Amino acid sequence: MTIRPGTDALRGSLDLLVLKTLSLMPVHGWGISQRIQQTSKGILEVNQGSLYPALQRLEKNGLITSDWGTTDNNRRARYYSITAAGRRALDEERESWKRFAAGLDAVLGAT
Amino acid sequence: MSWLSAARTRLRLVFSPRAAESRMHEEMRFHIEMETDRLVREERLDPEEARRRALLAFGGIDKHEEALRDGRGLAWLGGLSLDARLGFRMLAKYPGLTLVGGLATAFAICAGVVTFAMVTPFVKPTLPFAGGDRIVLLRNWDAQAGNAEPRALYDFTAWRETLRSVTDLGAYRDVTRNLITPDGDARPLSVAEITASGFRIVPEPPMLGRALAAADERPGAPPVVVLGYEVWRTRFGSDPTVVGRTVQLGDVYPTVVGVMPRGYAFPVSHEAWAPLHPAALERAPRKGFPITIFGRLAPGVTLEAAQTELTMLGRRASAALPDTHKHLRPQVGPFARQFYDANGADRAAMASINVFALMLIVLICGNVALLMFARAATRESELAVRTALGASRGRIIAQLFTEALVLGGVAAVAGLAAAQFGLRRWGTPFLEVNLGRIPFWYDLRLSPGSVAYALALTVVSAVIAGVLPGLKVTRGMGARLRQGTSGGGGLRFGGVWTAVIVAQVAVTVAFPAVAFVEQREMVRIQSLDSGFPDEEYLFARLEMDPAAVVSGDGEAEREARKARYGASLEALRQRVAAEPGVKGVTFVDRVPRMFHPEYRMEMADAPADPGPPGRVPTMAERLSEVSVASIDPSYFQVLERPVLGGRAFQPADVASQARVAIVDRSFVEQVLLGRNAVGRRVRFAAGPKPDGSPGEPEPWMEIVGVVEELGMGYPTHHHRAVGLYVPTPLATGAPLHMMVHAQGDPMALAPRMRELATAVDPTLRIAELQRVDEVSNPLLWLLRLWLRVTVGATGIALLLSLAGIYAVLSFTVARRTREIGVRVALGASRARVVAAIFRRPVTQVGAGIVAGAVLIVLGALALSRPSDCWNCPPEFGFSLRQIALLVAYAAVMFGVCLLACVVPTRRALRIEPTEALRAE
Repeated sequence: MTIRPGTDALRGSLDLLVLKTLSLMPVHGWGISQRIQQTSKGILEVNQGSLYPALQRLEKNGLITSDWGTTDNNRRARYYSITAAGRRALDEERESWKRFAAGLDAVLGAT
Repeated sequence: MSWLSAARTRLRLVFSPRAAESRMHEEMRFHIEMETDRLVREERLDPEEARRRALLAFGGIDKHEEALRDGRGLAWLGGLSLDARLGFRMLAKYPGLTLVGGLATAFAICAGVVTFAMVTPFVKPTLPFAGGDRIVLLRNWDAQAGNAEPRALYDFTAWRETLRSVTDLGAYRDVTRNLITPDGDARPLSVAEITASGFRIVPEPPMLGRALAAADERPGAPPVVVLGYEVWRTRFGSDPTVVGRTVQLGDVYPTVVGVMPRGYAFPVSHEAWAPLHPAALERAPRKGFPITIFGRLAPGVTLEAAQTELTMLGRRASAALPDTHKHLRPQVGPFARQFYDANGADRAAMASINVFALMLIVLICGNVALLMFARAATRESELAVRTALGASRGRIIAQLFTEALVLGGVAAVAGLAAAQFGLRRWGTPFLEVNLGRIPFWYDLRLSPGSVAYALALTVVSAVIAGVLPGLKVTRGMGARLRQGTSGGGGLRFGGVWTAVIVAQVAVTVAFPAVAFVEQREMVRIQSLDSGFPDEEYLFARLEMDPAAVVSGDGEAEREARKARYGASLEALRQRVAAEPGVKGVTFVDRVPRMFHPEYRMEMADAPADPGPPGRVPTMAERLSEVSVASIDPSYFQVLERPVLGGRAFQPADVASQARVAIVDRSFVEQVLLGRNAVGRRVRFAAGPKPDGSPGEPEPWMEIVGVVEELGMGYPTHHHRAVGLYVPTPLATGAPLHMMVHAQGDPMALAPRMRELATAVDPTLRIAELQRVDEVSNPLLWLLRLWLRVTVGATGIALLLSLAGIYAVLSFTVARRTREIGVRVALGASRARVVAAIFRRPVTQVGAGIVAGAVLIVLGALALSRPSDCWNCPPEFGFSLRQIALLVAYAAVMFGVCLLACVVPTRRALRIEPTEALRAE
């Protein structure tokens, strides 16, 4: 079984969460942190500050892009959207995450 | 295009840091505001408190900003660009070091690149077009005689039909023909008689018209020629309508069918191409003209596979034709090897020249390292502060490396420019002087490979000049910091540096001696007296085009050609002698000052040698190197140097039965030890035959006359040449030189000579036309080049020594500030202080000068060692005057080195005791 590549699981999972969130619609940074919190029903709380380095890294790798836009109440904000490569990466990451979780589950469930 | 947007993002992050910063600030502000709003809205906090909580949740804006900056991939780049900027600032701040170090490094890189560019074509010759490495040369190797058998037309026709692993098989032969343009101008043209397949080798279509076609090779096909670009430009004025015109090539009148583009010179360095007529030429095995066979490896076939097939064909031929092919072994090899066919050891030797250049570079960079070290040492407190602030040792070494790289980079640009200039100006002429014509694949311009090599050299130089001092200066930095001293004896110039300086001074002292030797050689060659006013004489080398078609009878053919050559020369003599301003015309096989072959001779009834006291070489030794020239009977009369004794040659002597010779004064004095020569009999000693058995002795010749010494010695030979003349008919196989005695400037006759030669016989061409006193010009040119290189190298060595001494001394004085101050405060006299400072440089320079003197003496001894010739004058390498000059030079050197000490010493003496104590 191949587990995730050498990066630490936490950073990897943050990338996964960001990509998943952006796969639904373009959102700005604060919005991403809110969505994750809401959809996980408050279980996952993103460290707001470390979100931005993650976004920059994903953008550098071509998985997301960003552009200036305006919010509902007319504020200028940086909106992030997922790219085709990002979607592919999301699918792969999700698969490998599932395998990882299944593996973990199997080990923990063993009697 | 995600990779495109990713690339854009990266570029933006790296190259517009300001925009990235402002975006970062704005995004974070937006985030905090949104969070504050949410907290006010959802948790009913007052705005003040909400903002505090929002900031808390975000957690350390500074920390995240730093993470973002790191994420841009700028950390290392920022450091590097900072180092590079610092490096440039250092260049400006220390102009002396920049100048000396830069100049030296530039010289080193220039020398390295020039060597690389000059050696590479010999070590790894490649044809400069796609697939050039698949072009091969085929030849028959005679395993018994140990040389190649070039008469291979028979084999070529056989291989062309059977060989499968080599395609486009073709052959050519070299011929030189007179190209005579309608204005009467006749000049030799290097023509390749080549099969049409030759034009399929280099993928270049003709610029005008067409290339040769297979139909041109058929017997009875009309004669055609394809011109090269340069010929078309210079001889036909770039005439676009030249195709279809008939031109005169010797005594054939081919039609121009095409012009090849600029730079096309396949197979070697040819200027025009005519069809090879294999059918019209002698095709019997091992008969006919020498040809060169080439081809292209069939797709997918390796050289080894082609060799295997060829070996098989060779075995078959050996069995079928034992008379001619028993010892012939066909070989196939890379085409570009044909010009300089070096074996592995030769190639390794050539390649090792690069190693010498590399050693020079290491030596020079070692010197620059010394300077950089001195500079780094004066900056020690700066480096210490950086270390204290947390810079790692690697970081500081990287900084010094980058500084050296900046210096090296600037130097590399200068060095490459100088190399390009030098190669253009001297490289190609250098090869031409040494090798004659240069094949088209010897491209001496800077190739990408040379530039890459220069870049590698730059990095090497930066490693030596930056990393070594860096390692030394940072060693024990931590300990020095702990002791709380910023200086005070932690750094020292070790014995290695001292040795380097001493060696440098020695070389600097010895190099001018080399320059003296070269200078003396030049003056000697220039002042060589050829025994007659040679500046009034013109010589022309006269050659004749080979027959266009060769019949089966080679011997009759040769005799006919000889007769025609003799008749043409005789006619030319009449025509030239009738010209106004011509005082005399004669012929000789080798003009004075040219190299005359030296033969071993024997003498009948040799006079008894004087007894042993004072060693006199034996008669056999004295006759071992006799320079021989074949002359027309009119030779001495035209040179206006009548015989001293006996008689001159008469026309009747030319008949081969009359065996007569004339010797020069040197022969009488050195061989006969002053005895009478006329009437004695000499002959060429029989050389051993190829199989080792003694050969047949030549017939005896009677010495009939004695003349002055008339330039029989080659300029670089130091011994007094012993000359012997034999008469020659004009109808001879080997080309002769015509010598013309002119009134006024002989070169004014040159154009008329060309016209007359063509008028007499269109196939008679003038291969060389020069004044007799200028025969040695290429040799002098070469010597002058070496002299320049020596002087340049001396200058660099001198500069480096001075800079090194200066740097070391400045460093020492700076180190001893306190000591000097205390000494002065305690009342030490200035003289004592100066002596203390000077002791070290004086010792170094003194040791260097002594070592240099030893080098010179060793060299002079080597030069004065009796060489293998018996009559070379025993010579000491230098005259008294030159020795005096060298001593004066050494004294001046010493003085200049001491001058380099003046500035640091004055600085030391100005040190006030109070200042010195404060320095602690």
